[in-house]
Amino acid sequence: MRVLVLYAHPVETSFAAALHAAVLEGLRAAGREVDDCDLYAEGFDPVLSRAERLAYHAPDADRSAVAPWIARLEAAEALVVVSPVWNFGYPAILKGFFDRVFLPGVTFAIEDGVVVPGRVRLRRIAAVHTYGGPRWAAFMAADPPRRFARRILRRLFRPGRAVRYLALYDMNRATQGARAAFLARVKAEMKAL
Amino acid sequence: MRVLIVHSHPDSDSYNASLRRTAEEALVRGGHEVRVIDLYAEGFQPTLTREGWRAYEDETRNADGIEDHVAALRWAEGLIFVYPTWWYGLPAMLKGWLDRVWTPGVAFTLPKDGPIAPALTHIRKLGVVTTCGASWWLTQVVGAPGRNLILRGCGFLMAPRCRKVYLAHYRMDASTPQSREKFRARVARAMARF
Repeated sequence: MRVLVLYAHPVETSFAAALHAAVLEGLRAAGREVDDCDLYAEGFDPVLSRAERLAYHAPDADRSAVAPWIARLEAAEALVVVSPVWNFGYPAILKGFFDRVFLPGVTFAIEDGVVVPGRVRLRRIAAVHTYGGPRWAAFMAADPPRRFARRILRRLFRPGRAVRYLALYDMNRATQGARAAFLARVKAEMKAL
Repeated sequence: MRVLIVHSHPDSDSYNASLRRTAEEALVRGGHEVRVIDLYAEGFQPTLTREGWRAYEDETRNADGIEDHVAALRWAEGLIFVYPTWWYGLPAMLKGWLDRVWTPGVAFTLPKDGPIAPALTHIRKLGVVTTCGASWWLTQVVGAPGRNLILRGCGFLMAPRCRKVYLAHYRMDASTPQSREKFRARVARAMARF
């Protein structure tokens, strides 16, 4: 199973970077073929341009600017998203990946006004996130990243298993022990993805 | 009231951009003092960089390079977002504005021994004007992440009794000139009452 790992954090000494490493390690230990997409390292531009917006639904649109990411997404059989949650949502660089790469024909198509699957077929989906604030704060805002993974990605791809949502809340006050336990959990979950 | 409009759409000829102008005109007519931030027009860079992240918790440095945005946010008593809903959420451009401008000391404080505390309590009114491809029904099914992020998440950082208004034109792909004008009138009315 080929796994695309979408990772978004600007600093290599962060806890998110440690989670990213744990994800890669767990997947590789299980013999998965991993395509590691580090959005910051690759200099991904998250801004959907005017030209892209105007040609969004055009079947012959020039998609050369994002073609490599489209190809990698289409080659994937599983997706693992790794990022912090900032201000109740994804970092802009990650949100922009959905805006620019999850295109008509790629992740979905519209036939007679009904949304149907696109070319991307994902059998497994997992999300690994850290939240600065406690769970109640995320809950109060209806936890947008959790809803995105659990509902939108699930509806879009209908993977063979429920979306695995792995979250560490209250990072600002998390102890070393809590962090270490979460790292171990993420690694174990990736081995069993 | 001092009202800040934050707009994020790549095409200034779009229906969404025209709603921004409708909102602005109605607010000015209502006697409000209005400032507009048009993120695409000014080429805002939405990615929180490595340097930005390192300075994030340092209140003496975390506004470097975005002083005007921080000043506008501190100036505002009312805040209105006008944007298209993409994938049930905010365009990356607008999300990046939150990532970079809504920092400790500006939007909230992080006391050492307690949870996050609101710092935008000078904002008494929050509004959203948005256009969605999906239906109202489907948006509810998936939990309206965009709406919740702004009204509940951002709203939590504002005055305790902050008034909120959320205006959305759903199923844009099936919209008609009539539905669009009807929605524009609704936006104008809501802004006139703001």
